[in-house]
Amino acid sequence: MTLADLRGDLRAFWAATRKEWRILRRYPGSFLSFIFWPIALPLAFVFQAQAFSGGRADTAAAFAERTGTTEVAGFLFVGWATYMWLSIILWGPGTSLRTEQIRGSLEAIFMTPASRLVVLFGPAVSQLIWAIWIFVVVGVALWLGFGVAIGPVEAVRALGVIVVGVPALYAIGALFAAVVLRFGEVHALVQGVRGLFTAVCGMSFPIVVLPDWAQTLALSLPPTYLIADLRAVLLSGSEIGRIIGDLAVLAGMGAILAIAAVFAFKRTEQHARRGGRLAQY
Amino acid sequence: MNELRNEGRAAWAIARKELQIFGRYRLNAVNSVIQPLYQTLIPGVLLGATFAIGGQAVGLAETAGTTDIVGYLFLGMLALNLASAGFWRVAFSIKMELDAGTLEPAWLTPTRRETFVIGMTISGLIIAVVATVVLVLIGIWLFGAGIAPRLAVAVPILTVSSVGILGIGYLIGAIVLRMRDANFFVDAADFIFVVLSGAAFPIIVLPELVRWISYLLPTTHALDLMRVAALDTRPLLPLPLEWLMLVLTSVALLIVGRAAWLSTEHRLRVRGTLGQH
Repeated sequence: MTLADLRGDLRAFWAATRKEWRILRRYPGSFLSFIFWPIALPLAFVFQAQAFSGGRADTAAAFAERTGTTEVAGFLFVGWATYMWLSIILWGPGTSLRTEQIRGSLEAIFMTPASRLVVLFGPAVSQLIWAIWIFVVVGVALWLGFGVAIGPVEAVRALGVIVVGVPALYAIGALFAAVVLRFGEVHALVQGVRGLFTAVCGMSFPIVVLPDWAQTLALSLPPTYLIADLRAVLLSGSEIGRIIGDLAVLAGMGAILAIAAVFAFKRTEQHARRGGRLAQY
Repeated sequence: MNELRNEGRAAWAIARKELQIFGRYRLNAVNSVIQPLYQTLIPGVLLGATFAIGGQAVGLAETAGTTDIVGYLFLGMLALNLASAGFWRVAFSIKMELDAGTLEPAWLTPTRRETFVIGMTISGLIIAVVATVVLVLIGIWLFGAGIAPRLAVAVPILTVSSVGILGIGYLIGAIVLRMRDANFFVDAADFIFVVLSGAAFPIIVLPELVRWISYLLPTTHALDLMRVAALDTRPLLPLPLEWLMLVLTSVALLIVGRAAWLSTEHRLRVRGTLGQH
């Protein structure tokens, strides 16, 4: 790859990002949804936690012992914010490919000299804006609704954790995109995987309450580390140095998953091109 | 009488068509049955375990009168299924007809417009009943058969609630026709409805003002009556009053929903905007 190719790909990447952002702006209803869900979903779990606590000191102490924090609302809001970000990423690359397929524009895009990575991850940049927006909404809701203030140092540390987590999560999104090219429809599969993450990765609970086999499964999934580390830096005031082991595992998982995603996507694309299935849906 | 029989046949034909479409996407159908398990039950049960003392949900005993978290949330899931029948089945069906451009021709048939919503709601209720049976079987397998005989009371409760669910169907149908792209609204309204019904927690933990809204929803009373019968939880209201509220709120929802539907139908016919989407 020459420097000119790289420059061309970067321009295409920026163009793809702008296109997605423009489409998003056309549907202002989606902005409402990105305010409603980051607040409403965790809030329901906060009420549920109040019911399970029953206003007793011993149940609150049990929660603090198992989670390492007394901030019930903070614990749940951070967990579910990560869930929503994860949902956007799981749906994102696959859905945008699927949309192009249905509109009949995928074949035309694949005929351009732009790298496939541009096609796959160009729209993802605009989704990153939504991810940041979700965390901002959650931060404001925690501050105004529950008096949990997140300082700039904690916010920067959280941003560091998010940056380390991005390759792993986007690689999972790319794997789903490969499945879209191969099979067309992935709704049920995405729901299933998201369900697995919800059930074991600790969005609404600490993974220590899981049975041993489920804890082992949880520790093999990137969202578990991401959620735990975000909670550690935002709620417990942990420094990056204290979670460096977790971050190394997360980065390692990201590298392995990214290689697997690139391989799977290339193979699927070859299969689709040879079989003339690119435009079929 | 003959007209009523014809409308009944039309409603059943519409319900069968909807069920046929639902059955075509098998993975989605399976997922819609098990989704409440991993999206509501498991996270809720594990959050409960985080607050447990010696394996007992003593906090829930304070707020709901039972330590049986699994049973409590399990019954909540059933209410969630029922509400979704009114919300999503009707919304999806009307949106699909709008997008496919078939709503206008369908409305040109001699079938009454209201019958379309009745047919869509019937299909939603059938799906909800099947999903409920599957979930109850899973419940018997996981938690023992003890709960099953006590769930017999669910039959009259669900029968009365179906009237309210039909009302929701009318209301949501009217909103979809007016807004056209109402996915977010339907999703959010469904979520708020289920949460305020107390599917995931006893409504006494809600702020007082919000709690009064909960009392106006038939699913709140349906769910509470089922929990009292199956788990011996503390009722929200004296039982005769709770039954009365179930009937009153269900009928009120039907009246309000039908009025909204008829007014929307009239408006679309006058403006000629039925084919727009």
